[in-house]
Amino acid sequence: MFRIWLRWSWRDLRSRWVQVGAIALVIALGTGSYAGLSSVTVWRVQSGEQSFELTRMYDLRGRLPAGSFVDAGSLSAVLADLDHPEWIEASEERLLVPTQLDASTGDQTILVTGQIVGIDVAGDGPEVNRVLPLLGRGLTAADAGEDVILLERNFAEHYDLAAQGEVLLGGDRRIEYVGHGTTPEYFTVVTEGGGFLAQSTFAAVFTSLETAQRLSGQTGAVNDLVLTLTDDADATAAAAELRAALASVGATIMEPLDDPSYRIITEDPEGDQQLYNVFAIAIFGGAVFAAFNLTTRMVEAQRREIGIAMAIGIPPWSIAMRPLLFGLQIALLGVVFGIGVGVLIAQAMHGLLQQIQPAVPVFETPFQFQLFAIVGVIGLLVPLLAIMYPVLRAVRVNPIDAIKTTHLNARGNRFISLLHRVPLPGDTFAQLPFRNLLRSPRRAFLTILGVAAVLSVLVGIVGILDSLIRTIDRSDEELLAGAPDRIEITLDQFYPVGSPQAALVLESPVLTEAEPVIQIPGVTLLGDDAADDVDLFVTFVDLESTLWRPTVVAGAVEPGTAGIVLSSGAASDLGVGPGDMVRVRHPRRSGPTAFELVESELPVLGIHGHPFRFVAYIDIAHADLMGVEGVTNGISARPTDGEDEASVQRALFGSAGVASVQGVTATTDAIRDAMAEFTGIFRVIEGAALILALLIAFNAASISEDERARENATMLAFGIPVRTVLRMAVVESFAIGVVGTILGLGGGYLMVVWTVEVLLPQTLPDITLEATLSPASLGIVLALGIVAVAAAPLLTFRKLLRMNIPSTLRVME
Amino acid sequence: MTDAIPAAVRGPNATRDGSLITLAGVAKRYEVGPVTVTALAGVDLKVDEGEFVVVLGPSGCGKTTLLNMVGALDTPTAGTIVVGGQNITGASRKELFAFRRRTVSFIFQSFNLFPGLTARENVEFGIDASGRRARSEAADVLAEVGLGERIDHFPHQLSGGEQQRVAIARALATDNPVLLADEPTGELDFRTGAQILELLRAEAGPGRGVLVVTHNREISRVADRVIELSSGSIVSDGPPEGGRVPISELHW
Repeated sequence: MFRIWLRWSWRDLRSRWVQVGAIALVIALGTGSYAGLSSVTVWRVQSGEQSFELTRMYDLRGRLPAGSFVDAGSLSAVLADLDHPEWIEASEERLLVPTQLDASTGDQTILVTGQIVGIDVAGDGPEVNRVLPLLGRGLTAADAGEDVILLERNFAEHYDLAAQGEVLLGGDRRIEYVGHGTTPEYFTVVTEGGGFLAQSTFAAVFTSLETAQRLSGQTGAVNDLVLTLTDDADATAAAAELRAALASVGATIMEPLDDPSYRIITEDPEGDQQLYNVFAIAIFGGAVFAAFNLTTRMVEAQRREIGIAMAIGIPPWSIAMRPLLFGLQIALLGVVFGIGVGVLIAQAMHGLLQQIQPAVPVFETPFQFQLFAIVGVIGLLVPLLAIMYPVLRAVRVNPIDAIKTTHLNARGNRFISLLHRVPLPGDTFAQLPFRNLLRSPRRAFLTILGVAAVLSVLVGIVGILDSLIRTIDRSDEELLAGAPDRIEITLDQFYPVGSPQAALVLESPVLTEAEPVIQIPGVTLLGDDAADDVDLFVTFVDLESTLWRPTVVAGAVEPGTAGIVLSSGAASDLGVGPGDMVRVRHPRRSGPTAFELVESELPVLGIHGHPFRFVAYIDIAHADLMGVEGVTNGISARPTDGEDEASVQRALFGSAGVASVQGVTATTDAIRDAMAEFTGIFRVIEGAALILALLIAFNAASISEDERARENATMLAFGIPVRTVLRMAVVESFAIGVVGTILGLGGGYLMVVWTVEVLLPQTLPDITLEATLSPASLGIVLALGIVAVAAAPLLTFRKLLRMNIPSTLRVME
Repeated sequence: MTDAIPAAVRGPNATRDGSLITLAGVAKRYEVGPVTVTALAGVDLKVDEGEFVVVLGPSGCGKTTLLNMVGALDTPTAGTIVVGGQNITGASRKELFAFRRRTVSFIFQSFNLFPGLTARENVEFGIDASGRRARSEAADVLAEVGLGERIDHFPHQLSGGEQQRVAIARALATDNPVLLADEPTGELDFRTGAQILELLRAEAGPGRGVLVVTHNREISRVADRVIELSSGSIVSDGPPEGGRVPISELHW
């Protein structure tokens, strides 16, 4: 008997191969995208862990404030006085100084801001945060004090720079680079200003500590300490001990999770995985609805055959074999296709990740057998479970009810009666599509859910993109308000406002309205406990400046009032508002290049409009709060008429004390550039979601067309033109498209809200995202969703045109 | 329907000699692999206005093929078909659709009602298709077939006989001159079948004709003419054997 059912189910499969293929494809995309993307998550986590281990990522880091330096050896010296010096496994002092870098080649101008990272190259190089050469050669003991550097790999790869060559550093110093290298904090390039994937605008260069000291003019100085702990060390206690030991020099203590690169490499995959889960569930949900729909309708079409089988005594479980085998075959087909789709997606993502993060030194991409096996089983079981219900229901009726012909057995329902009381406009041709929908509301609902599920993926993707773009736009609007061509010049350390270095910029003929500003990273807004602390990047500006001042969206800035202007994110995380007092731990300048860490209490003057949480402002008139009165480490200005950002960069490049010259939106421009690299992938997923919606709608239309073959034949027999019959199907599908798209929009928007308000804050806590769906995206989703679904019945045109009316009319079930 | 009715389809229902349906040398052959199956072999036939004609024959004799040809659901391999004054043999697809809307109406053995529409709406469908009547007349037409009390019922709420009466009402509502019925009583009991025959019989009148295809010889006794088909050819054509009888005398 089994063989007969198998053969018969094969015939069922062949006779509905288009619908079967479409559903298998939907299942394949659901299982494949999940398996493929989840494989990438496993790869990223494994590769990240191995890469950090290989480069001996620090367990603790002590960072001095910008412009602050201490004598080499003095940072390491405090380690011996810690309560638990035995917890320290290895330590390294470093010197990190800002610079500019000109890596222009014959065909492209590459002028970016950067950082010189001076490391100990004696012996095997630094024990902590090793610099790993990925192209060319590494630094050796022989390079100590020599004009030899390594270029940071992400930057070099972004501009496709040769393995070896020459670049110009700030101060017009030509220097040889011997390779491309990386350290853990540059696996992903994140700038102080919050720009991530910033390799297009930021270049780190690695060199010997001695060379860095010479290039920066900080002879014998360091400003950074990295260390690893023994396995039995208490990292939290060690951090507290180090914080106390380095408080006198104003050092900020960082653990790996405080490092943006580490956080993105280790936590981002988990966040992305949650997003993949939601996308895959939505796509797979669509597949399940489609499979359920098809099987339900197929079982109903087999009703009389089932009745006949029951009448001759075949047990129900045996009768159920045929539709179950049919469902199993669809699911199998879907899973087999899904493995192919998964491998393709994983390969595509592999290439993309290597392109985006070329500096991650270990990239393990083993085929995830276990993952594919689990997804395969789920892909097999879920559609099968979905079809169990209609199959079991079909074999539980009385044989006579199953054998009766449709006109006797068909059941109406209260929806039709309900609708009948509502007068519908138009003739029967206008009414029929809606009557048909409500004649089988469950089927219509399942189709709508299937369409809604995949469209929610589409909405989710465009919504996330819109939200990111909106955030970047908000940042640009805030930073450019009133001065769209504003430029920021960063100095390599603090200089008195009247110093030659500052005066050179303030009085530069290529600049106008130049104003000194003071930028202080490493400020912490203190919460009730350490977990609530918020890191700030404080800028002292003239809050009444005519050139530019932050927009205060809440509160008021009274001239002469000391206080801080916070971002809405920081204020809401700490539950404070204008007028409240906050505690701030910040560096206070205690000497020309020395700082100490102190705590102050400040009133919150207002909330500014910038979306980055760490951005905070204090009026420059109160620079004494951090002991930086009368000095500056940055200039805000506009180019004079006839000049632009590029010409100002050229004019100031090489000037003593100038670390960088860039437009105020350089950070967001870099984010925009980075996002552009992902856009292609997003477009592919959008396209796939649309195809899925079309497939589901086509399936529904095709099944309906099969089911209503006799109704259609009757219409044709009455002389109703094919185009009218088709129009009715299109109207019916249009109604499904409208409802499905609206539900999809709702579901997708919830997905966007969840992603930007719950998921992304975990990996990008410093960016306050606002769930946004732009009118353009809304319009595109509405148009594409509705049009794609409405147009699906047009694919059945040929079938309708070639219908054999007499034989269709005479078909007995 | 808003489609323009081609000029060729308009005009008097009957040809000059009074015939409503004229078939001349109509043949239909199918190629089934190497075998040629002849469904109709050169049929000549005329049906006049007011006639109630029954085409009789066993299964496979070609009677449904004949009906489909007359209704322009199928095309002949040879011969000419003129219905309601229009030669449909060489008509375009568009003309054939218009012909079906304005000249013929079908009644099927298995009713083929639209399950999503009520009885009234099924009849309105016929009105919308031909565009000859006002939609408000649907209830009147249903009343004519004895379903005045059931107009808002859906097909599944009606008995088989009632469903067939709705199908007849739908066909009558088109006001088309030629009524084609394929085994209209095939799924009905005798009493209901007789009622249906009454309705069909009443339709044959001035300017109209009814062509019924059946294998039930008893039905042919109420016809004006009985055409017997065998193996695709007409083997007899004339009044029923023993003369026409009232429907009340039928039994099967």
